[in-house]
Amino acid sequence: MRNVVVTGVGLVTCLGRDKEAVSERLRNQEHGFVRYQPFVGNPEIPVSVAAPIPEFETSSADPEDWTFPSEIRFRLEQLRGLCPNALYSHFALRQAVHDAGLALEEISNTRTGLYTASSGSAAMTYHHLHRMKRFGPMRCSPLGIVASTAGTLNFNLAAAYKILGSTSGFVSACASSGHALGFAHDEIAFNRQDRMLVVGAEDFTEETIIPFASMRVLSTNEDPDSASRPFDKNRDGFVGTGGAVTLVLEDEEIARARGAHIYARFRGWGQSTDGYHVAASHPDGHGLARALEQALSSTGWEPGSVDYVNAHATSTPAGDISECRALKSIFGSVDSPAISSTKSLTGHALSLSSIMEASFCLLAMDDEFMPGSAHIKELEPEANGLNILRETLSHAPNRLLSNSSGFGGVNVVLAFEKP
Amino acid sequence: MATPHLEEEELRESLKRCPERAVEAALEFRTSRDPQLVPIIVMGIIERFVEPDVRPILKKEQDRTRLLEDLGIDSLLMVEIVILVEETLDIHIENEELRSLRTLGDIKAYLDAKIKGLPVPSNKNLVSFEELAAVMPHQPPFLFLQEARINGTSAEGSYRISGNEPFLEGHFKGNPVFPASLMLESLGQLAVLLMLKSGDPVFGGSIDPDSIFFVSCDGVRCHKLCKPQDDLQLKISLKKVHAPLAQFEGTIMSKGIKVAKAEEISLTFQVGDQPNA
Repeated sequence: MRNVVVTGVGLVTCLGRDKEAVSERLRNQEHGFVRYQPFVGNPEIPVSVAAPIPEFETSSADPEDWTFPSEIRFRLEQLRGLCPNALYSHFALRQAVHDAGLALEEISNTRTGLYTASSGSAAMTYHHLHRMKRFGPMRCSPLGIVASTAGTLNFNLAAAYKILGSTSGFVSACASSGHALGFAHDEIAFNRQDRMLVVGAEDFTEETIIPFASMRVLSTNEDPDSASRPFDKNRDGFVGTGGAVTLVLEDEEIARARGAHIYARFRGWGQSTDGYHVAASHPDGHGLARALEQALSSTGWEPGSVDYVNAHATSTPAGDISECRALKSIFGSVDSPAISSTKSLTGHALSLSSIMEASFCLLAMDDEFMPGSAHIKELEPEANGLNILRETLSHAPNRLLSNSSGFGGVNVVLAFEKP
Repeated sequence: MATPHLEEEELRESLKRCPERAVEAALEFRTSRDPQLVPIIVMGIIERFVEPDVRPILKKEQDRTRLLEDLGIDSLLMVEIVILVEETLDIHIENEELRSLRTLGDIKAYLDAKIKGLPVPSNKNLVSFEELAAVMPHQPPFLFLQEARINGTSAEGSYRISGNEPFLEGHFKGNPVFPASLMLESLGQLAVLLMLKSGDPVFGGSIDPDSIFFVSCDGVRCHKLCKPQDDLQLKISLKKVHAPLAQFEGTIMSKGIKVAKAEEISLTFQVGDQPNA
């Protein structure tokens, strides 16, 4: 098996796009939440807080109404095939390729692939199907499908970057981009590709976030400074966000030969399924525990050698307890690694969250810190015995794990180490 | 239940990025259905969809302006334009009809006929570049046809001299002129296409594309020089078949002026055993 390293990061998040600035905000625990006016102003929406993406306004279903940074200019037929998360992804991918120091021909070759994770676009699906019902099928935009379905990132980005290697998309709810990273790792490790672009993205729109309200999993707390508080005893649900993140993975030898900056070695990963419930995690975290075991066995690490775990913890009452139990079953008998949930600063980005949190881990490793879990006033009793970081530590983890879980009981754990 | 007819505010919403004159014309058209308003509406809709850098080309409103090559309107954008035109004019455009709209002139003539309830110009026999390249033994850079129309035993075709043809560098030095020998070649190629696509029983079956070769020509005269950006309008008609020979007559026009004529082009051919595609 070949070693896989991360050489490029591209971010479009509620904490910003500039990686130094995002890193500083993580270190200083500065969150991205606001009282979001479209929610606050609608009495039917029981939710007030959200984490919008600075510089991007994409609430309209008409792409020509959107505002976004001017550094990418889209042709009209290209723009009309995008949904909000594909738009963000264009920026994240461009930034990651630039960050990795790659020329376009180093992307467009048979040894470079593209794996993506996006749930598609609820807003665009609704818009185009509404037109179909209102005006008839022959009056629908020919790009409606490209803009709406879960393959939207593959369609748009593979064409724009003339990808010639393996391209695929992953749909496993909030673990989607973790699966994309894991299988991209394997493409390189098993010598099928030399380089993989991995993109995770999610719309920041009412249509994507608010359907979770009726499941009673969104926080109804009106205070941006406390709505998202994973591991706090009084947490009441997650806060929605969106955006896009791209990571560039490469074979380590190839990356070193071209003198690339290496953020981390992507050492291995694990995955599992709870076999329990359509939406809820197994109450004792059995599935996640097995994914953690598998990640450890893929790396050969002892549990006691892990310095940091970026938890999935979304700030829902049941989910965080389940994760605490999974973590205790693995780390209960050793010195607990530092554990935090960066969702305390960003909220939950659904399909994007796994790769976004992986990117935060890489920034932390690169910039020598471990981000604390913000907004904990009273620790969830189930977390006793775990080292839940409340303040940022100013040294880098050598070995870290990043957890993600999604509907259907899927779990992914990614393992990174200092190069 | 889908109801294609738009309310006024829906029409304004659909046309919101079109020039104001087109929106006003569209609103007026709803009640008057005055065909004179159609070009203003349609040009406004096209303007809304093309990139800003080609709008000056569009504003010249030349009938020969090509949608794809000159305005960058690809097939998907064309569908968006068609949908908006359909909504605005309350008409329905068939896919088959859509395929034949290649220039601004085509669109104007088509919509004019459609609004007036006249038969629309048919392009059923149109052979696109993709189709002709798929059947012709000739291939770029030695294919001098861009599209063609087959009507039984005669055919029309066109070729626009792009100026990028490699031979123009040497024909002549500093003075690119389309060679007369290639004008004759282009007529011969149109005759080959006619033989392959006609399906007329006069040829005695389907012709093997690899069996067609030039034999002779008579009465060739050139009347005008042709240069880059000129459009060659080719015509060929079958004079007689005396297997294995077929004789054609051909002319080339450009901008309404006769460019060249060949009184007799003879090609040899063989009937193959493959069924006619």
